Amino acid sequence: MRLNLRVAALCVVLLVSQGALAADLPQRWVSAGGALSEWACALGGESKLVGVDTTSQHPDSLRALPGIGYQRQLSAEGVLSLRPQILVGTEEMGPPPVLAQIRAAGVQVELFSAAPNLTALQDNLRHLGQLLGTEDRARAMFEDYQMRLSQHGARVNEARLKQKAPGVLLLVGSAGGKPLIAGKDTAADWLLQQAGGHNLATHSGYKPFSVETLASLDPEVLIFADRALRGEEARVALFKENPILSSTRAARDGRVIELDPTLLVGGLGPRLPQSLVTLTNAFYPVQVP
Amino acid sequence: MTALVRPRTLFIGLGLLCLLASWLSLALGPVSLPLFDTLRAALRLLGLPVAGDGLEQAELILGQIRLPRTLLGLAVGGVLALSGVAMQGLFRNPLADPGLVGVSSGAALGAAFAIVAGSALGGVPEALGPYVLSLCAFLGGLGVTALVYRLGRHNGRTHVATMLLAGIALTALSGSAVGLFTYLADDATLRTLTFWNLGSLNGASYARLWPLLLVSAGVAVWLPRRARELNALLLGESEAAHLGIDVERLKRELVFCTALGVGAAVAAAGMIGFVGLVVPHLVRLMAGPDHRVLLPASVLAGASLLLFADLVARLALAPAELPIGIVTAFIGAPFFLYLLLRGRA
Repeated sequence: MRLNLRVAALCVVLLVSQGALAADLPQRWVSAGGALSEWACALGGESKLVGVDTTSQHPDSLRALPGIGYQRQLSAEGVLSLRPQILVGTEEMGPPPVLAQIRAAGVQVELFSAAPNLTALQDNLRHLGQLLGTEDRARAMFEDYQMRLSQHGARVNEARLKQKAPGVLLLVGSAGGKPLIAGKDTAADWLLQQAGGHNLATHSGYKPFSVETLASLDPEVLIFADRALRGEEARVALFKENPILSSTRAARDGRVIELDPTLLVGGLGPRLPQSLVTLTNAFYPVQVP
Repeated sequence: MTALVRPRTLFIGLGLLCLLASWLSLALGPVSLPLFDTLRAALRLLGLPVAGDGLEQAELILGQIRLPRTLLGLAVGGVLALSGVAMQGLFRNPLADPGLVGVSSGAALGAAFAIVAGSALGGVPEALGPYVLSLCAFLGGLGVTALVYRLGRHNGRTHVATMLLAGIALTALSGSAVGLFTYLADDATLRTLTFWNLGSLNGASYARLWPLLLVSAGVAVWLPRRARELNALLLGESEAAHLGIDVERLKRELVFCTALGVGAAVAAAGMIGFVGLVVPHLVRLMAGPDHRVLLPASVLAGASLLLFADLVARLALAPAELPIGIVTAFIGAPFFLYLLLRGRA
């Protein structure tokens, strides 16, 4: 009982101090993490961002901001030259000595989880909401997100009763050349599962494929994420560079879908539920009676 | 090839160049500090009693970011160039660079092991964590070089040609092992590996700096003492032996110093190409082949070149940063081509 009282007292103190801090929230933000930048914008923090890393590509307006390079290879002086009050990023952000230098310069450095699961997202959103002073909005957004995902899960389960999960391969490439196949333990694999697909690749990580392997797997649906090209151009490049793909079932049935590669880095982003819907629509096409 | 510049003039010129590079490296960066603040902060860092009001940021940036970075650049550039001279002297071949005895590829192997396998192995003590990469790179470089040296020895003599071929073979072997690690790596570690292979002076801290400074100071004191022996070696091994030089010992020292120096430099800053190959050439063009001048002048020239390259690396894309290996190779490769073509004409 006494312990409970202490915990309660601690909570009160923490809450009060949070309230007191709200008056001087950081106003100049640098974000190193694609999904984080997106969430920060979604929570109304876009005007506070003064710099982003190379993985922050959405919304488009972020591309106009000064780029601080790749999240694992930040430059202390580069970041400091933007005079930020806070640097947010995923646990991958680094290198550690640079983060120490940035901290020593009095910049708040906040790390977020990049794990693709709802618990991590809930923590991240709560944390971001506190830092931006939009806690209610963050909470509402998480609840909405959770709801969309569970609705989607229900839909996938329902579809699975009627139809076997299609065999899928997800290719990540650049301008069509030498794509890597997404295996287990990747964000891509998680995405496929959530959308109700069956990932045919059994290796772990992203690996180049051999033509024979691909032919023997014969996927029903191909998903490609191209880092350089978009839309039809990317599709044409992919088939031109890898003619074997045209003989797969997916290509013959025209079930080749494009995916934005930025969805695959930095944890769960706000655009994810929508892409899940797109993927599921492709996996389980509505049967015309 | 005769000297174009008198040694005295060369040393004064290179000394001034090195000072200029150091000053620019301290004064320029993505954060623009007023020149006067930089000066005052520099004086305060030297321990002079200068009023310090409003200087906190300048002092922090100068003391914690730019000064360690500048020192790192000086040490790495100097020691790489010096090892280049040692290797070109040892192999009596202007195309030799420190990578020839396997130290670079060994270090790359060590680093790849640390980056890819390190996370899988887990159980690294907390305090050691940040140093595992450097340590593995250093040990990898030393290990492969020791092996190359051992393979070159036969009947108590070191055969330079055998050593060279052994170096090529082991470099290829390490390369394939690095390739294997690359294949096993996941996306994130892959990028770390890629960036490590391009080198960077970014994130220099004093804790990582001291070992390198000690090693490079040791090498920079030791190697120039062997200048006369290296000059004699230019005539050929038996000629040098007839001149009363312990050639076996000299070879051992050269290989050891290179392994130690380059190993430490690579461990601290990653792979930085072309400094060890090109700087000795540059200095030889100006000062001729006398190692008494070549060795110390290369230290100054290498240090200056690396600092200038680093300035480009940190300013070109600010607030982001280019890996310095890109810049040195960008300067080094065309120059190297020029040397090749000039030799042909």
